[in-house]
Amino acid sequence: MKTLTIIPILIAILMLALVNFGFASDGKYEQAMKKNIESVYKAQSVEELQQAVNAFERIGTTEKDHWEPQYYAAFGYIMMANREKDGGKKDQYLDQATAALDKAKVIAPEESEIIALEGFAYMIRITVDPASRGPQFGARAMQAYGKASTLNPENPRALALMAQMQYGTAQFFGSPATEACTTLNKALEKFETFKSENALAPQWGRGMAESLKTQCK
Amino acid sequence: MKALSTLFFYSLCTLAFAQTKIEGRITDGKDNPIPLANIFLKDTYDGTSSNENGNFSFQTTENGTQTLIVKFIGYKEFQKQIVIEGKSLNLEIRLQEEISELDAVTISAGAFTASDESRRTVFRAVDIATTAGESGRLFVRGGDGNEARTFIDGMLVLDAYSPSAPNTPSRGRFLPFMFKGTSFSTGGYSAEYGQALSSALVLDSKDESEINRTDIGILSVGGDVAHTQSWEGGSMAGKVQYTNLRPYMGLINQRMDWKTPPASMEGIGAFRQKVGKHGMVKAYGNFTHSDFSLYNHNIDDYNTKQLYDLTNNYRYLNGFYKNTINSNWMMRGGLSYTSLANDILIDNNKVVETEKGIHAKTVFEGSLSDHVELKSGLEVINRNYDQSYISLTEPTHTAAFEETITSAFVETDVYASNKFVTRFGGRLEHNSLLNKVSFDPRISLAYKTDERGQVSFAYGKFRQSPKNELLRQDERLDQEKAEHFILNYQRIDNDRTFRIETYYKRYDDLIKIENTSLANQGSGYARGIELFWRDKESVDHLDYWISYSFLDTERDYLNFPVKSVPSFASKHNFSAVAKYFVQKLKSQLGATWSVTSGRPYNNPNEDKFNGSFTPTYRDLSFNWSYLPKPYLIVYFSCTNLLGRNNIFGYEYSTVQNENGQYNSRPIRQAAPRFLFVGIFITLSKDKSINQLPTL
Repeated sequence: MKTLTIIPILIAILMLALVNFGFASDGKYEQAMKKNIESVYKAQSVEELQQAVNAFERIGTTEKDHWEPQYYAAFGYIMMANREKDGGKKDQYLDQATAALDKAKVIAPEESEIIALEGFAYMIRITVDPASRGPQFGARAMQAYGKASTLNPENPRALALMAQMQYGTAQFFGSPATEACTTLNKALEKFETFKSENALAPQWGRGMAESLKTQCK
Repeated sequence: MKALSTLFFYSLCTLAFAQTKIEGRITDGKDNPIPLANIFLKDTYDGTSSNENGNFSFQTTENGTQTLIVKFIGYKEFQKQIVIEGKSLNLEIRLQEEISELDAVTISAGAFTASDESRRTVFRAVDIATTAGESGRLFVRGGDGNEARTFIDGMLVLDAYSPSAPNTPSRGRFLPFMFKGTSFSTGGYSAEYGQALSSALVLDSKDESEINRTDIGILSVGGDVAHTQSWEGGSMAGKVQYTNLRPYMGLINQRMDWKTPPASMEGIGAFRQKVGKHGMVKAYGNFTHSDFSLYNHNIDDYNTKQLYDLTNNYRYLNGFYKNTINSNWMMRGGLSYTSLANDILIDNNKVVETEKGIHAKTVFEGSLSDHVELKSGLEVINRNYDQSYISLTEPTHTAAFEETITSAFVETDVYASNKFVTRFGGRLEHNSLLNKVSFDPRISLAYKTDERGQVSFAYGKFRQSPKNELLRQDERLDQEKAEHFILNYQRIDNDRTFRIETYYKRYDDLIKIENTSLANQGSGYARGIELFWRDKESVDHLDYWISYSFLDTERDYLNFPVKSVPSFASKHNFSAVAKYFVQKLKSQLGATWSVTSGRPYNNPNEDKFNGSFTPTYRDLSFNWSYLPKPYLIVYFSCTNLLGRNNIFGYEYSTVQNENGQYNSRPIRQAAPRFLFVGIFITLSKDKSINQLPTL
């Protein structure tokens, strides 16, 4: 056998080995995460959200050093709770979200995005029974947003959620929404300038902020 | 040669990319498909979600022994070892139901729970606080008011109600809002609680940390200031409250002849701190000083009057600790101390009464398995009571007793499924005054008839030491006993609740008074039906509930010559409560309409004991909470809007008049109406929290 014919075979084997062992520019983890992050952002139904959440849970049980899988699983559950009408099922989804966020906090206790998402979970809890949960969970949500903003003043989601909460309160009391709109404008600025080194960092929230903007003159 | 290398190349590809298909179906215990379950191989990303038929299919490049995991909310995690050797695998997987707190049936017989956390309770704390009407003692059906006991975090609270002038409502010392859960049981309650013949009020204080805040209340009858300071894992709150009814009674005519209207000064402190990952330490204290004095006028001669002056000093301290022992077990324990002293002046005679109680308790609770929960504990309650009668003419007479009750209890909940639970337990008690050991069983069960409704039954034996004023005369008196049978059905939809309950309580060894001697020769029974309906849905912004109860009871106890209807019992009891939120007015308006049939009283001019009945009681009360700003509430309430002259009974003179009859005087409310105005301000960083929950 001539040496020349062995070389393409060896190259083929080497390439196979490389692809298999994930030395490609996007590792298996990043690939899987990016694909599912896109799914969770695009999901149109509770079923699609559950499928994305399941994928994040699968990744999360393997990748115990990354907070992002737990974060996005929680995000998916919060979106499911938001779409659900039945109060008992809402609470069930939010319990799952809280469990995922607790795991994320153990991995990254000072991560602003996780705290902001915790606030979001509290905010959806209120919708189950506004009269008795409003004061308690409203206060906790605002506390979480404040803490998230302190941890990372550039986090646009913490500000957008805070504005949402302030707007809801102002509406309930029939007072003007000036404070909410000020916070909202800051949030929109931060969306423009937000940059993260983490390719898997959350990018959602702009749509919510922009639709709230229409309520502010 | 080329063919060989190509073949080698292709076979290498097949080996490297060797994929095995794993497929199958996920179902529950009844063969129903479970869609969207999460199926995957442990420590890999390989997996998928099941479709609407429960079917799933995915490819994996792993081989050898792997663990397949299946997860879905409401079911126990499923794990199975599989071996991947090249051929595809087809698996039929059945998931087992998990006993979950959100879904499982609860024992509701005899229990009225209010909780902000659980969604399957009839009330939330805000409902109790914002209901118009007298917030006096809890209505204990079929039982004397003295036959109920209050517990905070499992620790006994003696004298949970502030002393009241005769015929005025007494106020609870504890607001419903400190607590995350309130369970008012009308019978059949857990083996954990004892020494309450008819019912137990169980309060669980909140675990969650608070926000820094300062609350100020300016009331028509006084004022209060409270401050809460919180930090990571803990918080501390303090409140000072001063109440004085004098300015109010100066404005509104009173029927009572007050010398100094009721005034009280109260200090409350609460502390909470997380310990480790799952533990917590709590402490609570209440110091209250209250006093009032009035003149009791003689029935036959109004100008003859007697001064009655009461000063009460109350101290309550409670320390509580809980922590998990492992993933299945937790322990909690506490120590509480109550000290109360009543100094009473009747003309020139003094009565000094003190009671001190210490309660120490430890409880272990946890799961023996997925379906069996166990609770077990040990407690000691020591009470020291004494009363001295000091007069200018006679030598001082003192009666006292010290009672120590040591008990152990065990209770287990067996969940056959999320739909059926059986609870049985028992309580062993040793009483130092009687030097006897007793055993009381408690059994209850509940069955979920469908998604929203459940049937529940409770049975138990209960005992309680006689009232202090009787026990001090003879410490060897035996305990009074009761046996309860309760059956209930309740249905809680999201915004509608229906409840019907029927009960039968048998009382034995009640204290009878013959001339001056006391003996446990009394008995009695109480039976009835209660109906409850609540609707928050039918009318926008309107939350209303209606309740009706029928009570048939007779007792032969105390000074009754024959078995008769006791004077705290009314046959028909009806109340309707409505709350309406008006967005434009930024207000919540509430009204309560109560109608109760007449209560018996004893007329010495008649032959039959307790044979006369008071007129029907009717009361329409109203309240209005106005929220001009998120942190400011203006609150107004008024009882008995229609000004009905309600009569609770009659007092009779001790001597006959010239016609051989005893003169009488009706026992009425202290005033036709009670008006209350309050302004509540909350100062905090977040301007949207307020005191609406704590009113």
